[in-house]
Amino acid sequence: MKRSWTDTIEETIIALLLGLMTMITFANVVARYVYNSNILWALEATVFLFAWLVLLGASYGVKQNAHLGVDLVVELVSPPVRRILGLIAVSICLIFTLLMLKGAWDYWANFANLPATEGRWFPLGFEEKYRDKGWYEVYSVPHPEFLRWMEDVFNEGEEYEKIPRFIPYAVLPLSMALLLYRFLQAAWAIWTGKADRIVASHEVEQELEEVRAGHEEKA
Amino acid sequence: MDVVLLFGMVIGLLMIGVPIAVALGFSSILFLLWFSDTSMASVAHTLFSAFEGHFTLLAIPFFILASSFMTTGGVARRIIRFSIACVGHFPGGLAIAGVFACMLFAALSGSSPATVVAIGSIVIAGMRQVGYTKEFAAGVICNAGTLGILIPPSIVMVVYAAAVEVSVGRMFLAGVIPGLLAGFMLMVAIYIMAKVKNLPKGEWQGWREIFVSGKEAGWGLFLIVIILGGIYGGIFTPTEAAAVAAVYSFFIACFVYRDMGPLAHPEARSLSAAAVDVELSGGRSTLLQKPWAVVTAFFHPDTKQTLFDAGKLTITLLFVIANALILKHVLTDEQVPQKIASAMLDAGFGPVVFLIVVNVILLIGGQFMEPSGLLVIVAPLVFPIAIELGIDPIHLGIIMVVNMEIGMITPPVGLNLFVTSGVAGMPMMSVVRAALPFLAVLFVFLILVTYVPWLSTWLPTTFMGPELITK
Repeated sequence: MKRSWTDTIEETIIALLLGLMTMITFANVVARYVYNSNILWALEATVFLFAWLVLLGASYGVKQNAHLGVDLVVELVSPPVRRILGLIAVSICLIFTLLMLKGAWDYWANFANLPATEGRWFPLGFEEKYRDKGWYEVYSVPHPEFLRWMEDVFNEGEEYEKIPRFIPYAVLPLSMALLLYRFLQAAWAIWTGKADRIVASHEVEQELEEVRAGHEEKA
Repeated sequence: MDVVLLFGMVIGLLMIGVPIAVALGFSSILFLLWFSDTSMASVAHTLFSAFEGHFTLLAIPFFILASSFMTTGGVARRIIRFSIACVGHFPGGLAIAGVFACMLFAALSGSSPATVVAIGSIVIAGMRQVGYTKEFAAGVICNAGTLGILIPPSIVMVVYAAAVEVSVGRMFLAGVIPGLLAGFMLMVAIYIMAKVKNLPKGEWQGWREIFVSGKEAGWGLFLIVIILGGIYGGIFTPTEAAAVAAVYSFFIACFVYRDMGPLAHPEARSLSAAAVDVELSGGRSTLLQKPWAVVTAFFHPDTKQTLFDAGKLTITLLFVIANALILKHVLTDEQVPQKIASAMLDAGFGPVVFLIVVNVILLIGGQFMEPSGLLVIVAPLVFPIAIELGIDPIHLGIIMVVNMEIGMITPPVGLNLFVTSGVAGMPMMSVVRAALPFLAVLFVFLILVTYVPWLSTWLPTTFMGPELITK
């Protein structure tokens, strides 16, 4: 399979996030037994990295067709029907992502001193009155020096002791926007006949391909 | 009635090929927007708190990472060599060794299809060479491979523990006796078949071979000691144990086995290389030759690739689980399981009938759905009912795991059947036929596990004391 530069970026981010999670958790164990102290922010930081990994990775999963699903019926029907089912399925994914994008923005916006949207199903314009929540901080991850500029922008110049909440939560709107983009691409691929489904039935599909390729070489 | 609509929608969406995660999330969102006054913002918050609020789930990426490092290249080969040395000289020896290897491999990896691919791609070919039929070989591996989710560490158990809030440590311990029992039953079945059919037996290679191969495989198998010992010794939390295991496997893979990383032979990586039984050790470098490897190993492309593979699997599993937690939120809000439980009790159904119903649902579901995905859907629904009926939560967890294990090899479409047909290069229907005799053994096992709670609860209760059941 040809790999583009975006593949490389996405793969590196995924590897990096998982690597960081592992190192932080491991370092915390070492700190406890060797230095007899705890890294206070380790658990919370790991949890945020975890959320970032999965939510950002979700769009990569769409691109690679790696999301788990059931392909039983899809396998049984004829190609034209399969295409229609595929289009319905991908439309549902698009509606889901649009709804989640609205929800993600609404949840995040006030933390970043921005207006959430009005409306229950559809965004019907931005709310006019809202409470700034830019001063909300997380529980334990200390605010790094290089992000001090945020204090002027989001907190009226007051000092952040811990990182503000809008930083970890920013992944919500960001990841949903990326997911939307990837589902649009997937929809286009099904429409043009380049793909016929958006799911994988199990997690070892790639490995199985490798083994199959091995069989064909021998045969 | 709303609930029927909800689950009907989930199943309908799954059938037309919507990803599990989206089917769960989408149905729950519609349900919430229609029937309650929840806003989309709070749904988004629920999605995020799947990670923020469930520390148990954090163990999953680390377990996946540990088994990814362990299963690059030659660990499967070392385990198989050790298994053959131990049990290869019995009648049907290679088949028994295949089961044994699957059991050991299951202790390193938490996934059934992965076990089939790793062990199957080597053992099936090996069995054919010494005169077993392809069908027999495929049937053995296909069934033994399902032990991957029963023998700890198991990702499915972590998912169960997180979904219904029981202790991961207890679940792992509870899986030990059933896991050993299932393996033992399969081995006995093979032994009897071998006696009847006069299947080939291998040579006894002596204690030296057991010792040498055991030492080789031991580095990898020590992982399970770290995990279980660490958790029960009170040294780590399950999450920390998983992270330590991941770091340990990284060091073993890079510096002891040298299957990956800067010291590896250039062609040592990848499953296909593992299948080709070449002694690659000549091509490996030692740490003395390349001392800088201590640093470069962290940035080596192999390390990145393994991290990425594990990350990708984490993403697909956790995206499903995060969305399933939205569904769980809906169910809890609407008091759905409580309603079903009281309806069942009013209708006079007891625990026995309930367990049969659970068995059937999971056997059907397990056929075409990835086990963790199925579990997060079914567990929140049946768990409160089981508690209401006085069934032990740990016992229920093991029943569910064993059920899905068998669902994966139940015709017509079990996942493991499908994977095995790919690995053995034979049509699905012949794998189904090949798997049937052993499937019967596992069915007996399922009945045992379902109606003898002692098998699952004795070990955790002995080691960790009686558990507190909170309704």
